[in-house]
Amino acid sequence: MIALILSALWGVVMMFSGIFLKNKKAAAPVAITGIIALLIVSYLEYNAVLYLDADIRGMLKFSAFGQVFTGVVFFCTLIYFILNAAEFEETGNDTFEYYALIFFILSGIGLVTYFNTLLMLFLGIEIISIPLYILAGSDKKNLKSNEASLKYFLMGAFSSGIMLMGIAFLYGASGTFYIDGINVATAGFSPMIAIGLVLLLISMSFKVSAAPFHFWTPDVYDGSPTVVTSFMATIVKVASFVAFLRLFDNAFGKVHAQWQILVALITAATLFIGNITAVFQQSVKRMLSYSSIAQAGFMLLAVFSLNTFAKEGLILYAAAYSLATIGSFAVVIKMKDYSLEGFNGLGKTQPFLALMNTIFLLSLTGIPLTAGFFAKYYMLIGAVKNGHQTWLVIFAVLMAAISAYYYFRVIQAMYFKEGNAEAKPVSAVFKYTLLFTAMLVIVLGMFPSLLTKALY
Amino acid sequence: MLFWFLTVMALGSALMVVFSKNPVHSILWLIVTFFSISGHYVLLNAQFLAIVNIIVYAGAIMVLFLFVVMMMNLNDISSPLKNKWLKFAGVISGCSLLLVLIAALKDTGTMQQEVLLNTGKIGLINNLGTVLFKDYVLPFEISSVLFLSAMVGAVVIGKK
Repeated sequence: MIALILSALWGVVMMFSGIFLKNKKAAAPVAITGIIALLIVSYLEYNAVLYLDADIRGMLKFSAFGQVFTGVVFFCTLIYFILNAAEFEETGNDTFEYYALIFFILSGIGLVTYFNTLLMLFLGIEIISIPLYILAGSDKKNLKSNEASLKYFLMGAFSSGIMLMGIAFLYGASGTFYIDGINVATAGFSPMIAIGLVLLLISMSFKVSAAPFHFWTPDVYDGSPTVVTSFMATIVKVASFVAFLRLFDNAFGKVHAQWQILVALITAATLFIGNITAVFQQSVKRMLSYSSIAQAGFMLLAVFSLNTFAKEGLILYAAAYSLATIGSFAVVIKMKDYSLEGFNGLGKTQPFLALMNTIFLLSLTGIPLTAGFFAKYYMLIGAVKNGHQTWLVIFAVLMAAISAYYYFRVIQAMYFKEGNAEAKPVSAVFKYTLLFTAMLVIVLGMFPSLLTKALY
Repeated sequence: MLFWFLTVMALGSALMVVFSKNPVHSILWLIVTFFSISGHYVLLNAQFLAIVNIIVYAGAIMVLFLFVVMMMNLNDISSPLKNKWLKFAGVISGCSLLLVLIAALKDTGTMQQEVLLNTGKIGLINNLGTVLFKDYVLPFEISSVLFLSAMVGAVVIGKK
């Protein structure tokens, strides 16, 4: 609760420091201070040292799962800020405001992790979405960025409408916004509950860019400034997944058998479209955005199976996927040319960046000894233990094998092709942070229990 | 009786919003839709909501809409040509959605008495304020973050 309030307040602090500190370079330190403060506060809250006793009528529910997840989110954001500080200054003139918007998004993420009523879920989703529409268009001179912003706004508003309609139906059927009340009302499984469930499923699938609601994703991710894409594809996406999992676990857990096949089909379609289309991409940035659809398919397995493995796995997946993708995007940003040819020979010209990128891409593929392996393993074992749709597990493994092709193509370009890949100069802080992130990916790959045991 | 009149008015004008060729006419029909929905709010004993709906939506937002449409001068732009199959698929999926929604709603209980007579105080601003600041104070406060971020965004987009 305190972390949630602090994140909203720090957004205001960022705006005011934008007035008093004219220098753009001062934005990053203020933001990093804020995120470190958030990390400390959320750690203290996790250990129940800090506690805010406010009468919130049970609208938010603070579980260990949510607290660990927000911790992961704050940590990933910290790394994201440090790695991308220079790019934020280049994107536009309103550096402070961009950071402020990100802090607002963080408070929205807090809401969707802790929500206990559909009202809070909706507010959280909106607080996440609206700043993102603006951030997507922050490169105002670039036509593609404008297009991305407008497209995202229209599609996002439409899906919010669908979500509201679903909420209205659920309210009509159960007479309450509270998750527990809806859970009770699902016992009868009236047509109204069913339609509300399907509408919420559609809108949440849109937010996590699951097929067949993924059409906005490649254009928006490709058009937005790469810094913003890196944030949208990682932290925001995993937060939407936590909301998805919590909603369907707590509100519709009892009627799991009724909608499981629906989620299974969406998962299979997402895995298929994400992986197959990523194979044909020539730009690494666009490839990474399709890969984010493919990874969303894997995270959907958690919603499919709804057991302890799914929950532990989603936290692990959130950390593994976010760290690796943020790192990989940080390398892509430093490149002069985002196309695959632009990476030719990076292993010779910039051996450090190439090595780090290799580690991140290996983790995204799910090679053992990297965090991605255990994340995928937990997801698959959760789906196996669930035991209803074995074909889905086999299909997911097959798709993971296909994903190796397009990740390895980048590695191949970096090491085995002749070329003169050019990269922008990088600072020492950037290098150490990247190294730290890569080490974290490997440590999590060897000892995933470091993270999962924090849940209990 | 009044209920059916308002319902037909709301549905009819909503359909006219979609079917009007001229965008300015669409907006005028939308105003009619908002008024009839406000009538429904009154029937549900939500007087304050009805007034706010008229002031904010029919008043302020629609005027903004009109300004924007008139400034952009959309009158002579015909809607872009669409694929025939795309239209066909759209009609089919729209009709299936309609069917499902009707199926979901047909079993809902209808209220015997549509209006609470003589005791219609529940929707007055007094009660609303009490509920808003007691039960719903958290969402109320949090929506301020939403509006703040929207305002920051508007400034960021509007600035050169």
